[in-house]
Amino acid sequence: MSSSQALIRLESLTKRFPGQRENAVDNLTLEIPAGEIVILVGPSGSGKTTTLRMINRLIEPTSGRIFLEGEDVTAVNADRLRRRMGYVIQQIGLFPHVTIGDNIATVPKMLGWEKKRIRERVAELLELIGMDPEAYSGRYPKELSGGQRQRVGVARALAADPPVLLMDEPFSAIDPITRARLQNEFLQLQTKIRKTIVFVTHDIDEAIKMGDRIAILDDRSHIAQFDTPATILAAPASAFVEDFIGAGASLKRLNLARIADVELVPWPTEHVSADRDTVRAALLASDKGSVLLLDEKRRPQRWVNMLDLEHEHDQLSELGLSAQVMQRQATLYDALNEMLNSLQGASAVVDEDGAYCGVIDIDAVAVAIRAMRQEARRTFRGEDPVTAVGEPTREESLS
Amino acid sequence: MGDFLHYLNFRKGHIFDLSVDHAQIVLYAIAIATVIALTTAVLVYRRERLSAIVVAIAGTFLTIPSLALFGLMIPIVGLGTKPALVALVMYALLPILRNAVVGLRGVDPAVIESAQGMGMNRVRRLVRIELPLAWPVILTGIRVSTVLIVGVAAIGAYVNGPGLGEDIFAGLARIGTPTALHLTLSAILAVVALALLFDAFYAALGRLTTSRGIR
Repeated sequence: MSSSQALIRLESLTKRFPGQRENAVDNLTLEIPAGEIVILVGPSGSGKTTTLRMINRLIEPTSGRIFLEGEDVTAVNADRLRRRMGYVIQQIGLFPHVTIGDNIATVPKMLGWEKKRIRERVAELLELIGMDPEAYSGRYPKELSGGQRQRVGVARALAADPPVLLMDEPFSAIDPITRARLQNEFLQLQTKIRKTIVFVTHDIDEAIKMGDRIAILDDRSHIAQFDTPATILAAPASAFVEDFIGAGASLKRLNLARIADVELVPWPTEHVSADRDTVRAALLASDKGSVLLLDEKRRPQRWVNMLDLEHEHDQLSELGLSAQVMQRQATLYDALNEMLNSLQGASAVVDEDGAYCGVIDIDAVAVAIRAMRQEARRTFRGEDPVTAVGEPTREESLS
Repeated sequence: MGDFLHYLNFRKGHIFDLSVDHAQIVLYAIAIATVIALTTAVLVYRRERLSAIVVAIAGTFLTIPSLALFGLMIPIVGLGTKPALVALVMYALLPILRNAVVGLRGVDPAVIESAQGMGMNRVRRLVRIELPLAWPVILTGIRVSTVLIVGVAAIGAYVNGPGLGEDIFAGLARIGTPTALHLTLSAILAVVALALLFDAFYAALGRLTTSRGIR
């Protein structure tokens, strides 16, 4: 990557805290390309948060330089610099005494935008994060769930449309289920907003899932490896990196492919209100062994098999197993996990509105794994990679 | 009892006037104390040791027996409203100061960090974020101070200060006469009523001035 593409450039960045004998961050040089999510990941104490906070100068570097869009910002007014960078922290830090709308409007107000423009921007952002402006802009943070607060935190950071977003463990304080959903939503959002994002986490799985590039940091922010997730998983640069990735690198690679990239299996479906004979006929006509029942909005409801249909006195909508669904943006890792947890061994896939798209089963995941393995092998034998499963953007960077 | 009611009815204009004077000096004292305490709190709250020292100093004012404090004022500022006001301000400082320091220090660090990360400077952070968030605690301090001062202000009459203390001292000086009890009791009742009124006022003020988001 050439330096002209880099939106943020850190040059020999060093931080020593007063009274400490060692540098907390030691001579870090790093280029963050425009429009990418770069993850800083490392064990605790590796200086990743200190590094992040030096980018918006919440911590002033002891030496070294910071460039933003080619401009040396090491010594410019820090408050003005920060208004050009969205900042999202783990605890989110919404202002509890002002409304959601006013929270989001914080930076635009400081920049002196007109009232009307601010109002429109707030509504636009709330729409973007899937919250109804009418209903939410007048509410207070305490009236929201953890997940909603997190979304508002992101919207607030995006308010003045800064080119850069700095995120410090933004999803760490959220329960695992909500976290996976927020991660997927955020990736979806990023395809629209194309911000340059620096993202700190201690969780390698999150790094693999979220990152276009990952910087694995050793002690004092020394870069152990800086590369795409696929390359890091396939060819860890050192024993430290290998250790940090931990066991199951090939399993983790499942985080790199999304359900949307895999061919879904067509499954027999029927409406929940269909009569038993129709369902039975559908079952007999297919080799799948079960039928997926959908509601009026084509949202998956139940898996029903032949045996379930024997229960004459129950409603069709109460038969069989309740259908768990996966979003199309979810990773194969999520999908496999879901399948192993459910009795069905397959998972219904839905689009953004929750409507049925198809089914992903173990076989589909196995095919994807095989393709990825071949892909990795080919790459490291120096052959041209073919576009297989996995995201095309990542394939490019492999070559 | 009938006697006392008769007395109250006869003297109601006088008691009302004294109560107004009383309320006035309390309000002045609280206003001055609030300005001093808030300014001091804003200057020191970010430094833990300094905060502790300042709060301790304000605490010592409160330990001086009130009669002695009023008396000490005479050689410095003479007799009348002035010494009463100075002494009341000194008493009112501690609750306001301590609550302001506690309130400002108690603001969630994540909120401050996110404010700073969005490019809010010190002053804007203080005015827009920290003071509004600390406000309920500060207001509670002002409320406690006020109720405290309403009682202490009665002793201001010892230095010829204004207020209901006048009747209390007059009554006490006439112990044994029939009007002594009436004088003292009516003034005490007025003091209690004033304290309750102030308390109700602050409760209403608190509801009006505290954001719905932190109530």
